[in-house]
Amino acid sequence: MRSSPPAEAGAASATQRTAAGGRSGIGRLVPRLPILGDLRLGRRLGWLIPVLIVLVAAIVGYNARAIDQQRGSALVVYTAARQRAFVERYTMDVLLVVDGFQADPEESAEDVREPVDVLLDGGSVRAPQGGGARVEIAPARDWRVRRKLEQDRRLIDELIRTGDRLVAGGRADPQDPQFKANVTRLRVLSAQLSSVSNDAVREITQQTEASLSRLVRIEIALGLLGVLAALALGLLLRRAGAEQAAQFRSLVNNSSDLITVLAPDGTIAYQSPSVQRMLGRRPADLVGTALGDLVHPDDRRDVSVSLTELVEAAPGATANFGCRLQHNDGSWRHVESICTNLADDPRVHGLVLNIRDVTEQAALRRSIGDLLHNLARRSQGLVDRQLELIDELERHEVDPDRLQELFRMDHLATRMRRNVENLIVLSGVDQRRRWSESVPLRDVVEAAVAEVEEYSRVQVVGIHDLTLAGQAASDVAHLLAELVENATSFSSPTTRVEVSGSPTGSGYVLEIEDHGIGMSDAELAEANRRLAAPLAADVAVSRMMGFHVVGRLAARHGIRVQLRPCWFGGVAALVLLPAVLVGSAGEHPAMAPPVPAGVMVSPEPLLLANTTQSGWQPRAHLPLRRHGAPAPNRGGDTDAAAEAGEPVE
Amino acid sequence: MEWTRARRRWAWALALVLGALALAVPLTIARRQEPTPRGTPVNVLLEDFKVQPDAAVVPAGTVSFRILNHGPTSHEFILVRTDLAPDKLTLQDDGLTVDEEARGIDLLDEAGGLDIDERQTLVLDLTAGNYVMYCNLEGHYLGGMHAELTAR
Repeated sequence: MRSSPPAEAGAASATQRTAAGGRSGIGRLVPRLPILGDLRLGRRLGWLIPVLIVLVAAIVGYNARAIDQQRGSALVVYTAARQRAFVERYTMDVLLVVDGFQADPEESAEDVREPVDVLLDGGSVRAPQGGGARVEIAPARDWRVRRKLEQDRRLIDELIRTGDRLVAGGRADPQDPQFKANVTRLRVLSAQLSSVSNDAVREITQQTEASLSRLVRIEIALGLLGVLAALALGLLLRRAGAEQAAQFRSLVNNSSDLITVLAPDGTIAYQSPSVQRMLGRRPADLVGTALGDLVHPDDRRDVSVSLTELVEAAPGATANFGCRLQHNDGSWRHVESICTNLADDPRVHGLVLNIRDVTEQAALRRSIGDLLHNLARRSQGLVDRQLELIDELERHEVDPDRLQELFRMDHLATRMRRNVENLIVLSGVDQRRRWSESVPLRDVVEAAVAEVEEYSRVQVVGIHDLTLAGQAASDVAHLLAELVENATSFSSPTTRVEVSGSPTGSGYVLEIEDHGIGMSDAELAEANRRLAAPLAADVAVSRMMGFHVVGRLAARHGIRVQLRPCWFGGVAALVLLPAVLVGSAGEHPAMAPPVPAGVMVSPEPLLLANTTQSGWQPRAHLPLRRHGAPAPNRGGDTDAAAEAGEPVE
Repeated sequence: MEWTRARRRWAWALALVLGALALAVPLTIARRQEPTPRGTPVNVLLEDFKVQPDAAVVPAGTVSFRILNHGPTSHEFILVRTDLAPDKLTLQDDGLTVDEEARGIDLLDEAGGLDIDERQTLVLDLTAGNYVMYCNLEGHYLGGMHAELTAR
């Protein structure tokens, strides 16, 4: 059984099926938005989102443009206003000079020209904030503004020419008509320049206001469109969410499986409506009640253990378990549950159980088990008769060679019988014989060794003088025989297999060590998993029958079996017999605890009705070598040991 | 006509766009009420710095002044009845603008803030007499923006 690769069966894989989303057209071009989660975008949503994005981008762009325009406009107004101040200063400088005061009209003339040149042709001006920084101004583009600025420039030129004439004339007679005409002309030009500058400033301001007003109108329109698009988007999203919620509800309501959410205190926080169909109960009646109230009393412990372990496991961990739930009519439904720990998920805050009704499967499995059992029972009867016949022949045979042949036949038949018993074990029918009295442990070990064809390679050492509870003797012998045969099969014929024992605090440990090829870590892990949790009979079980049989037999009596690598090569199988099964010689061990229901294929193992009191029958269940075939490495009193006890059949 | 779903959708979209535009278009578009020209038309051209009517003498009665500012700067049009010469109107204290409340001047009407290429019409009833048209922005009158009109 060691070399057979484990077949992964029964590993449930949760496949998420997503309903076909209606993404088409532009919708396909839109990437899935994280904020929408699994919400699929419909066709309308698909084109609405790009429209909304374009609108928002346009609003932002226009805003930026408006701000930039306002800033530029403020600079232009500032520059135009400065020019008027320069004109007034120049006029004043000229009049001061001709009046005999000290002034510098030439410098003022340069200042007068600069603003209009910058406004017309573009350039940099000193920033209003000061600090020496200069700000670029673009040339005026509007034809009205340009015409006014050009007129401004012509008037400035004439103003400066008039000023130059006055300054060149020096101090003159105020009554001189020419002088008076020039002064008047200077003042009129200055006034005209002020008027034209004001006009230009007003024009620029109006242009800016019009532009800003246009931008504001566009922004209002875009904003309104954005609001409409956002409203439509919200409505469509709401509708899409509602559709998906309805779809989810429909899936949950019409699912044959139950969806149950357990609160941290173990009560049902949510129950899907399908419970009405499965258990004949209304969901509202179950919410707030404990799940344990529905679970079969024999299954409660296992369910409780599984859920407790899951609660203590990491968030998102899953666990599988099977149990029986009570229908409203009092019948029991076999279910299998996949449970996920979502206690950390604020939307769930509990354990989510996906429960599937497997009552029909359980019945089918039980039926197959019965079939297996019946067939195996027939074979068992034939093999027993064959063994009796071989035994009879062995008793009367005196020829050593023929006796040797008969021994080989005896071994093969014994092995066949064990295979048949394996089938009975796998069928889930508990048909074992139970002895009311304890059996020496050493005899049980030797009986197991005697079942193996290569018993001569097996060395039993250090088994303490203890007894084993009678009701477990047959199963322990069977269990040990499987392990010993496994050890002899997967080790060299020249090596020995050692069976030893040692007491521990919780019972007694039997160790079967071989010097064989060993097992990889993965194989060991898989084998230990099979030993700890044997599956129901299926194809995978047939491939690794030995481990499954050992696991089932161990589970019946609370025995723990574990495989470990040996430091010198090979594998050591450790069998921990619980203290309740083991007692000192002359003392009756306590009765074994009841078999946990969760590990049985059939929750209610069938016992044969016609069981009768009988003695310890080594031929039937603990076959021992006789007639010159010494017990392995010990010789001894196996017959006497086999006759001890009274099996109850 | 059977409205298909696609057609209804387009109709909704169109209605939405029209509604948005209707809200966006400013509701305060001023409709300028230009008076209907009546009586004798007088075309007045304003430019820097001249006032050029196409008639110096008009019959007394209703006169429509169709004013066009040819720029390049803004101007205003003021009509006063006076027997003073056009260049002899009384100035204010600043010496740059006409004192419209001075004796010998009777202000009839005005059209202010005419931008470049802007037109405006004034319809006035003129009795027989002398009138002066001018622009009273700073320096404009003194720059030569005045003209004489006689109604008979």
